[in-house]
Amino acid sequence: MKKNDLKSMGKSFTKYILIIGALLILLDFTFHRHEYFSFAEIYGFPAFFGFISFVFIVLLGKWLRKFLMRKEDYYDQ
Amino acid sequence: MISNIIPGLIMILTSFLLPTIPQYFRHPAMLLSVGLSALSLFNGYGTFLEWDVLGLNLIFYQSDSLTFPFSIIFHIAAVLVIIFSWHSKNLMEHMATLAYAGSAIGALHAGDFFSLFIWWEATALTSVFIVFAGNTKAARDAAMRYLIIQVSSGVLLLIGACLLLYQTGNHNLTVLDLTTDFGIFIFIAFGIKAAFPFLNGWLQDSYPESSVTGTVALSAFTTKLAIYALARTFPGTDSLIWIGAIMTAFPVFFAVIENDLRRVLSFSLNNQLGFMVVGIGIGTELSLNGTVAHAFVHIIYKALLFMSMGAVLYRAGTTKASELGGLYKYMPFTTIFCIIGAMSISAFPLFSGFVAKSLIMSSLGGMGMVLIYFVLFFASAGVLEHSGIKIPYFAFFAHERKSKVKEAPINMLIAMGISAFLCIGIGVFPKYLYQILPYTVEYQPYTIDHVISQLQLLVFAIIAFLFLVKFKLYPSEIKSTVLNSDWFYRKMLPGIGKPLFKKIGLLTEFIYENLRFFFRMILNKSHKFSNSSYIKVTTPSFAATILISILFIMLLIVLL
Repeated sequence: MKKNDLKSMGKSFTKYILIIGALLILLDFTFHRHEYFSFAEIYGFPAFFGFISFVFIVLLGKWLRKFLMRKEDYYDQ
Repeated sequence: MISNIIPGLIMILTSFLLPTIPQYFRHPAMLLSVGLSALSLFNGYGTFLEWDVLGLNLIFYQSDSLTFPFSIIFHIAAVLVIIFSWHSKNLMEHMATLAYAGSAIGALHAGDFFSLFIWWEATALTSVFIVFAGNTKAARDAAMRYLIIQVSSGVLLLIGACLLLYQTGNHNLTVLDLTTDFGIFIFIAFGIKAAFPFLNGWLQDSYPESSVTGTVALSAFTTKLAIYALARTFPGTDSLIWIGAIMTAFPVFFAVIENDLRRVLSFSLNNQLGFMVVGIGIGTELSLNGTVAHAFVHIIYKALLFMSMGAVLYRAGTTKASELGGLYKYMPFTTIFCIIGAMSISAFPLFSGFVAKSLIMSSLGGMGMVLIYFVLFFASAGVLEHSGIKIPYFAFFAHERKSKVKEAPINMLIAMGISAFLCIGIGVFPKYLYQILPYTVEYQPYTIDHVISQLQLLVFAIIAFLFLVKFKLYPSEIKSTVLNSDWFYRKMLPGIGKPLFKKIGLLTEFIYENLRFFFRMILNKSHKFSNSSYIKVTTPSFAATILISILFIMLLIVLL
């Protein structure tokens, strides 16, 4: 029980988030979502945009470490 | 009588009296002073206090529909900070915090650039002691850098104000543009405090170094005062749209790799300011309302997030992501409050961020600014990444914790509880927030299109996070320093300056050495000369010889 708390929490969280995600996509088919820009009205556009943005941010950030990361005591030297 | 006292002044006076008040009554006295200052909110709009100084008419107390919402939230923030620091016995920090909040409130009510300058510098001078109160070597060093930058901002403001007065004969707060030199000076002065790109280094440098409670106070006032000043003097300035869009996007990447969670929040603060700056740049009634609403809710949820990290620092002794994790078991209330703050800043529907950010997004959409709209949409995914997920995940979850820690003290929980309540309250009943905004605009944030669109963005960004963690693509936390724009004056300038000054030093020493040699030679010669048997007859001494020769040289110069 003690050791697996976080793991089981993570698992059930993942499950619920996936269900909510699927529901949101399904909902998109039930009505016409009005947006300011017509291309954003494509089914699931915000979902796609959110997913891609997130992956892009994390991977670019990770890559930027090459240039921006220094040792912890960098400024004390 | 109370109607003529500058709001905030009573807080500053109380802060001077704090040392004479016994420990147990200090916090009640601080709260009382904030309460008395808040009475000014009932005065209505108008000009209440003018003063003729050196022939200039300085407006020290005026209020209108723009100062009003800022004044309310500054008072609320002051109350939250005082409750949050109730357990602390650090007198210097209490005095600095109260005077700082008072100065910021005073600055809101300034009606001309010179009285604004006075308060502008007052916020700098009082807040530097809050950074000092971090009481480590890093904090003291950061405080000195902070002071230099903040005072420079004030000096630029003063230069701008003087030029404005000289060229136009007017010094009242008015709408300016960037075609004039005074406009540019004032713009940069505000830009430093609003942490524009490349002027932002001081923020991430100093805020995370302050104490558990100090960072909460710092996060509320300085930058939002700058936002207020920009909204008053530069609404509709096009370049602000671009500056703001860059501000929303670029701190996102820094926040991903930063290890100190309070520094992550400082980057996030910078990103939030970007949204407000975009709103000012658009300059419509809807977008300015959006900026004010965003500043209002932002102060609350940002304070809440800094409070939760302050509580973690207080109990676990660090906010480094690489050393935290698993705190949810020991600090359940702090965890919940932190998640509420995280959901608010990420703009989940029914939380305060959503009802404020929608105003800015709608005004962008309504104007057809497609590129900026999607930069901000992209930045919203970024906010979710660093403030929505990274902060709660690495502090409270990530992995099991080995050593036990206690839940935060009760006063911290109360302060966080009030903030969390406000976050949800404003999110569920946005009309109370909309009522106090500068312009009356009918706006409905909860349309089905908007809610679904925002939820899709957020939920699928979370799914992206789970996906990245699952495939071990999410960057692990590494103890490190992330370079930021303060690198230019902490490393680059000293890197150029130190060798340069060394060379200059060597050169001047060389010149001095030769001059010394030259003069000694002349002295020796004249000494010999004055002692020689020819001259002794006519001149009495060595000094007289020197004088005669100087007179002779001067005569030569004049004749030539």
